[in-house]
Amino acid sequence: MNENDLRKVIEQVLVEMNGAGKEISEDVVKETVLAASTATKVEEGFIPDVTEVDIRKQYLVEEPVNKEDYYELKQYAPCRLGIGKAGARYKTDPMLQFRAAHSAAQDAVFSDVDHEFIDKMGLLTVQTQCDNKDVYLTRPDLGRKLSEESAKSIAEKCKKNPTVQIYVSDGLSSAAVAANIADVLPGIMQGLKSYGIETGTPFFVKYGRVGVMDQVSEITGAEVTCVLIGERPGLITAESMSAYIAYKATIGMPEARRTVVSNIHRAGTIPAEAGAHIAEIIKLMLEKKASGTDLKL
Amino acid sequence: MILRTKLFGHNYEFKSLREVMAKANEEKSGDKLAGIAAESAEERVAAKVVLSHITLEDLRNNPAVPYEEDEVTRIIQDDVNEAIYNEIKSWTVAQFREWILDIQTTGSMIQRISRGITSEMVAAVCKLMSNLDLIYAASKIRIIAHCNTTIGLPGTFSSRLQPNHTTDNPKGIMASVMEGFSVGCGDAVLGLNPVDDSAESVARILKSFDEFKNKWEVPTQICVLAHVTTQTEAADKFNAPIDLMFQSIAGSQKGNEAFGLTAQMLEDGRQMMLKKGTSTGPNVMYFETGQGSELSSEAHHGWDQVTMEARCYGFAKRYQPFLVNTVVGFIGPEYLYDSKQVIRAGLEDHFMGKLTGLPMGCDACYTNHMKADQNDIENLAMLLASAGCNYIMGVPQGDDCMLMYQCTGFHEAAALREILGLRPIREFELWMEKMGFMENGKLTPLAGDASVFMKK
Amino acid sequence: MQEIIISVGIDIGTSTTQLIFSRITIENLASSYTVPRISIVNKEVIYRSEIYFTPLKSLTEIDANEIERIVKQEYKNAGITPEMLKTGAVIITGETARKKNADEVLKKLSNLAGDFVVATAGPDLESVLSAKGAGSDKLSKEEKLTVANLDIGGGTTNIAVFKKGIIAATSCLDIGGRLIKIEDGKISYIYPKIKELAQSNQIHIEVGEKAEVDKLEQICTLMAEQLSMAINRSTRTNQHAGIYTNEGKPLPEELEIQGLTFSGGVADYVYHPADDDWFRYGDIGVLLGKAILKNDGIKKVQQFQAVETIRATVVGAGTHTTEVSGSTITYERERLPIKNMPVLKIPEEEEMDLEAVTASLIKQIPLFYTEGKLEQLVIALSGNFHTSFASVQELAEAILKGSQEIVKSEFPIVIAVENDIGKVLGNAIKVMLECRKDVVCIDGIHAGSGDYLDIGEPIANGRVVPVVTKTLIFNS
Repeated sequence: MNENDLRKVIEQVLVEMNGAGKEISEDVVKETVLAASTATKVEEGFIPDVTEVDIRKQYLVEEPVNKEDYYELKQYAPCRLGIGKAGARYKTDPMLQFRAAHSAAQDAVFSDVDHEFIDKMGLLTVQTQCDNKDVYLTRPDLGRKLSEESAKSIAEKCKKNPTVQIYVSDGLSSAAVAANIADVLPGIMQGLKSYGIETGTPFFVKYGRVGVMDQVSEITGAEVTCVLIGERPGLITAESMSAYIAYKATIGMPEARRTVVSNIHRAGTIPAEAGAHIAEIIKLMLEKKASGTDLKL
Repeated sequence: MILRTKLFGHNYEFKSLREVMAKANEEKSGDKLAGIAAESAEERVAAKVVLSHITLEDLRNNPAVPYEEDEVTRIIQDDVNEAIYNEIKSWTVAQFREWILDIQTTGSMIQRISRGITSEMVAAVCKLMSNLDLIYAASKIRIIAHCNTTIGLPGTFSSRLQPNHTTDNPKGIMASVMEGFSVGCGDAVLGLNPVDDSAESVARILKSFDEFKNKWEVPTQICVLAHVTTQTEAADKFNAPIDLMFQSIAGSQKGNEAFGLTAQMLEDGRQMMLKKGTSTGPNVMYFETGQGSELSSEAHHGWDQVTMEARCYGFAKRYQPFLVNTVVGFIGPEYLYDSKQVIRAGLEDHFMGKLTGLPMGCDACYTNHMKADQNDIENLAMLLASAGCNYIMGVPQGDDCMLMYQCTGFHEAAALREILGLRPIREFELWMEKMGFMENGKLTPLAGDASVFMKK
Repeated sequence: MQEIIISVGIDIGTSTTQLIFSRITIENLASSYTVPRISIVNKEVIYRSEIYFTPLKSLTEIDANEIERIVKQEYKNAGITPEMLKTGAVIITGETARKKNADEVLKKLSNLAGDFVVATAGPDLESVLSAKGAGSDKLSKEEKLTVANLDIGGGTTNIAVFKKGIIAATSCLDIGGRLIKIEDGKISYIYPKIKELAQSNQIHIEVGEKAEVDKLEQICTLMAEQLSMAINRSTRTNQHAGIYTNEGKPLPEELEIQGLTFSGGVADYVYHPADDDWFRYGDIGVLLGKAILKNDGIKKVQQFQAVETIRATVVGAGTHTTEVSGSTITYERERLPIKNMPVLKIPEEEEMDLEAVTASLIKQIPLFYTEGKLEQLVIALSGNFHTSFASVQELAEAILKGSQEIVKSEFPIVIAVENDIGKVLGNAIKVMLECRKDVVCIDGIHAGSGDYLDIGEPIANGRVVPVVTKTLIFNS
């Protein structure tokens, strides 16, 4: 609505309010139009992105006694500190930052990995016996078993008896797959290449729990199996990924036989570097023919 | 014992007490995962009807795991006061429920009866309680315990300061410690979940807590939540000062084995504390539990998660703990699906712990793969505080960046105290007043300024 | 699990020679579910030698055999053999470093001391080491002050300034307790600069004349005033510039020193002044200590007790030289240790642009030729701008393109990067060179132009390497 339209509306309203036929002074109309247009004016620009606030640098306590010292100390913690208070509650900014982080975490869990991304990475997609996210979240047993079709597909399309089988799974964070795979996966591959270790055909398991690696190991006949899987998101990051690696994994083997490298994300262990580290662990596993608690790192 | 009833003219027949107990539970995804939940809402009610007629004696005679097979069962059964048990063994669960709710029944009367019951009875009566019943009943029972200070006194409400850190960085931990204390968090305990659970690291953190506690004369207790054997090693080898010894426990021997724990280890740990611990006592132990942990380690013996949880409390009681809390939403949606289930479980656990005679707190929390958010957990905290819960957790703004879950924040205890007219533990309140953080039970403008502790 | 490594420090100074052994504890501070994070968690001096007068054959030559005898004897007393040592430093300091056989002595000791014990000299490093031994770095961090340590020895005063724990500047002056010597009540030696200083203040002094306390006290007052000028507490006179060792540079004038510690042999007489027996050591050390204490400029600064005084330098050398690398790195075991590598630093502003990285290497590598032959160098960079897998590959390519001279040489490619990308960068380079060349690529290490780096043999089950960064040129 432009100013003229607004003017017409207001004139009409004033006329109605004052009763038909009465004169309305020009000044009254002008004043009212002005007030109405400033009150509703939509301005240009953006309200700053609350998710871009660096929690370490935010210090909201009013007039702290030793500001500099505590600010310095809080640099050592990734936690939501120095946030002040509104009564015995939180200030508005940190409250909104928290809700934003939680929304990202929930989206990471409850949304699926983009299929185009998986295709672009050249990964074949297979699925566990979970039909949807809800089943995945409430039935961990089904998330540990490949669907019949998927098991067949792996058996047919993937290299048989590779030294190392690496695959990717969404786990509890689709965001982790999207954020890290392009760095971790080639990081491992390059490391293994530098050691002269041969690898199988990588693929993607949708709705996968860690335990499905045991079945993957049995189907492919790989000596070492490694899954890159999204971790349960926290509020600091929704993109953290773990690698679970096992030597000759079999269905029903003890959990202690898995070696874990967790906390892989931009602000944790740098994904490409983590890939190089995982490659070295795999090399060691092949040398020692052991994994998990049996393998001293 | 009758295991049959009719509802709307339909027959409902249950094969065993175990099935009745499982199906009488409010809906939980964990019981569904175990394949033991009621298949319909009606069947659930039918099971409750049947359960209401079961006697306490039947419950005693049908422990979840046979006496011969399970040390948790043995501890629970052996600790029953037979005289008290004989007074009540003929009660039905319905009678037991109404007795607890009766206005004439006082908290100390309930505490006496607590000595004559088993965990299966505790679980059974819980299954017949609505949420408000659980709050109403629990609010009568005050369980008081003493370590360095006294927890659980009427009119008080406490919190654990949980300064967890992603890498156990000592400075980062202290930054959280300072902020927590500055808003009145930490009168229950200053307790950290370590990332590095080596004895060296545990000792190092305990020493830094001890130093802070002494320097600022904070009237509280300190703890690092490592395995009981690690804490013992930290004390033996590295002279770590320990006020409270922590351990996660389960409701069956097999469940405890999954935690690398036996009853003997707990007893040894407690004896070590009584000899070498740095606190006044006599209550020197701290336990955490949570519905679903037995199922997750396939140690539930076909029983439901409420019953197995009740057994944790029966087991814990032997060791006269200072703190016991359920970590109610930590385990994930396969056990507690959404906020409704978490809130129910929180109230159940709190009630069952108190009915067992434990100084109960609760870690009201949720993970990000659960259908719950901060509002839900604030609701639960409010309900628990109304129910006379001893303590809740406190982490910076409710976000535990190390355990990657959310629970109650530093500010929650302060807000709940103000709303409900509750106070911190007396000595702690006096200390807060001395520090300038609290006045007349309310936070002062200075509260929340952690930099106060940076003064030389 | 903890691992303990033993470190040695040997200091051959102008007046004294000392040795210490220390125990450095390293530990993986990360949980077993993440990439290890191995750090030094404790340093503790476990053996202190006697303090010997540095044996000289003549005014220009150190008595190397006597030094060797002393060191061997002390190893024996401590029950330590060179094989037990994983790291450490031998340092020749002050006047002694200017003796004609200093290099020879260093070499001899380095072999004797252990495989990865670093031999070095230089006033800037000495300033830093003595200040660390005195605890000034820690003090400045804890007190959040700008703290200067004055290490006042026989021939020189080494100054290092720390701002909140970080080194801010160093300097070295020819002010020391043995610059005038006294024998049988007579003056037996006067360092020329001190004679000049006295003369320009109308104090005439000659070798052979009777040692008069009053007169020498006046000279010490002048010397103390020079120190006050050096720490910006008195106005610098024209003459002041000449007092710096080897025409070195003073501290920046804008630097405000808020706290002082004293180390070196004279320090004990600053902290605990004597009131008689002035010439007990045959020099003016005791008098100088008193003069420093009484100086108005110095008095204005808050003074702190040093952790070590006369042993500060040797403790610094023995315990504060070693760091450990990051825990995910690339190396060829048989190539380590590598000692005394000069640092080729790619400046951060050039690092952002890959062409500039290549250009920087091509431009700088020729500077590391001696007698027409390339020496083993280490390429240092921050690694902050290339962290994705793809960009690490590009960075590796740019480095290789710029360092063809190294690729062609007999030396391995050695890279020290600050950010945690050492392993992936190392792998990228190895694969690009088709594994035909040895690559050492460590991270977690900050090194600058003009530094020298030593990389030791792997420790902690091969996860990390000890690293010594020697900052030899500071105020240049």
